[in-house]
Amino acid sequence: MKRNILTALAMAIVALMLPFAAQAEKHPADSTEQKSGAVDAQGIIFEHLGDRYGWEVPFNHHKSIPLPVIVWGSDGLHVFSSSRVEHGKEYVDGNATFRVAGKDSPYKGKVVEIIDGKEVKPSLDISITKNVCGIFIAVLLVIWAILDVARWHRTQGMKGPRKMTGAVEFVILFIYDGVIKPTLKTKANKFAPYLLTVFFFILVMNLLGLIVVFPGGANLTGNIAVTLVLAIITFLITNIFATKHYWKEIFNPDVPWWLKWPIPIMPIIEIFGVFTKPAALTVRLFANMMGGHMIVIVLTLLIFIFAAMGPVVTGATAVVSIIFSVFMLLIDVLVSFIQAYVFTMLSTLFIALGQEEGHDEHHGEQKPEHAAAVTTSANPSLNESKI
Amino acid sequence: MELFTPDSGLIFWMFVSFAVLFFVLWKWGWPVIMKGVSDRADLIDKGVEYAQNAKQQLDHAREEADKYIADARRQQADMLREADKMKTQIIEEARSAAQTEAKKVMDAAKVSIEQERKQAEQQFRNEVSSFALDIAQKVVRNQMKDEKAQEKLVNSLLDEMEKQN
Repeated sequence: MKRNILTALAMAIVALMLPFAAQAEKHPADSTEQKSGAVDAQGIIFEHLGDRYGWEVPFNHHKSIPLPVIVWGSDGLHVFSSSRVEHGKEYVDGNATFRVAGKDSPYKGKVVEIIDGKEVKPSLDISITKNVCGIFIAVLLVIWAILDVARWHRTQGMKGPRKMTGAVEFVILFIYDGVIKPTLKTKANKFAPYLLTVFFFILVMNLLGLIVVFPGGANLTGNIAVTLVLAIITFLITNIFATKHYWKEIFNPDVPWWLKWPIPIMPIIEIFGVFTKPAALTVRLFANMMGGHMIVIVLTLLIFIFAAMGPVVTGATAVVSIIFSVFMLLIDVLVSFIQAYVFTMLSTLFIALGQEEGHDEHHGEQKPEHAAAVTTSANPSLNESKI
Repeated sequence: MELFTPDSGLIFWMFVSFAVLFFVLWKWGWPVIMKGVSDRADLIDKGVEYAQNAKQQLDHAREEADKYIADARRQQADMLREADKMKTQIIEEARSAAQTEAKKVMDAAKVSIEQERKQAEQQFRNEVSSFALDIAQKVVRNQMKDEKAQEKLVNSLLDEMEKQN
C-alpha cells in the first residue's frame, strides 16, 4: 500500500515537472537577461515574493488573471485592466500613457505615466493588485468562517457545532481562553473582537500564501505593508485605550532620580520602547513568512540552477528539492499558525501592558496583579528569544 | 529594496479591508459567538450541578427509603406482636365473660329449679295431704263409727305426725 502511494507520488511529480521543464527550456529564449542560460534566481525570487498587477496562472507565463489598475495620473483618475500593460506594453488612456516600469527604472514593477518620454510615478496608485485581491479573498474567507459559527449559535442554540464550524469554534476558544482571557482578565471582552479578528485574518492570509495557484499564492503576510498596518492598529489600540498609569510609567518611571534628571534616560528608553513594539510585530511576522516562502522558492529554483549540469543531476536535484520543499511547506503550515498565534499573543500583551493599573492605588489586592504583570512583561522577551 | 518599502496602495487597501472585516465580525460575528459560548458553558455547568444534586438526592432517597422500609418492618413486627397479645387477651376476656355468664345462667337455673322443686314439693304435699285426708276420711268413716275411737285415733295420729316433724 505504502509503496503504491510512493510510486504514484513519484509519477505525479514527474508529470508535473514535464511542462515546467518545457517552459524552462522555452523561457530563456525570449527573456533578455538569460541569454547566457543561467537562471536569474534573485529576479525570480523577488518576482514571486513581490506584488504585481495581474495574477499569474500556473504553466502559462503569457496570460494572467487581469485585475483593475486604479491610478491618479496627471489628468485625473484612470481605471483600466492590468492586461493592457502586461509584458511592458504601453497603454494610452485618454491623454495619458501608462506602462509598467522596467527593471532598470527606480519605479520597478509599478505602473508609471509617460510624460515627454519620462517615467513619472502617479500621485496615487490604489490598484487592485495581486496582494490586494488576496487580501479581499482572505477577508471573505474569514467572514464566511466566523459568520458560519455565529449562525450556528443563532440558529442551533446550545447544540455543539460539528465539522468545520466546530473546528473554527475550537480555534476561537483556544485563542480566547488560552491567550486573551488569562492576559487581559476582566478587560478580555473589550479587546477580544479585535484580537480574534487579527488572529483569523493573519492565519487565513498565511495559509493562502502557501497555496500555489490562484486563490492563494499571494505573499500577503510576507509583505511589509500588510504586517505594518496590523502592527499600527495594535499600536493605536494599545495607546488609545492605555491607562494613566501606563503613561506615568513612560514619562516618570519608578526609578532612581538620577536616571530621569538632568538627562531623562529612562523616559527616552521608554518612549523608544513604545515604538519598538509595533516595529517588532511588523518585522517578526513579515520576516518569518517571507523567509518561509523564500526557502521554498530557492529549493525549487535549485532544480533550474542545476539544469545546466545535465539530466542526471537535474533529476536527482528535482527529487531532493521537491522532498525538501514539501517538508518546508509542511513546516510553513505550522509556522502559519504559530505566527498568527504569536502576533495575537504579543498584541494581547502590549494591550494588557497599556491596561495596567497603578500599584499604589489598592494595596491589599495588588499583590497577585503585580505578579501577573511581572510574568506578562517577562513573557515577550521569552517568546522573542524562542521564535 | 522594494521588499522593505511598504507600498502606499497596499497599505490603503489593507486598512480598508481590515476595517470592513473588523466591522462585520464585530457587528455580527464575535458578540453572538461569545454569548453563545458562554451561554453554553453556563448550561453545561448547570447541567453538571443538576446531575450532581440529582445523584446526591438519589443516594439520599435510597438511604431514606431503606430507613422507611426498616421502620415499616419494625412497625409491622410491633403490630403483629400487639395483635397477638390482643388476640390472647380477647380470647381470655371472652372466656372469662362466658364463664361468668354461664355461671350466672346456671345460678339462675339452680334458683328456679329450687323454686320449682319447692313449688312441686308444696303442691305434692298439698295433694298428698288432700289424698291422705280423703283416704283417711274414708278409712276413718268406716272404722270410726263411734266417737271415742275417733277421738283416740285422731289424737294418736296427730301425735305421730308431731313426732315425725
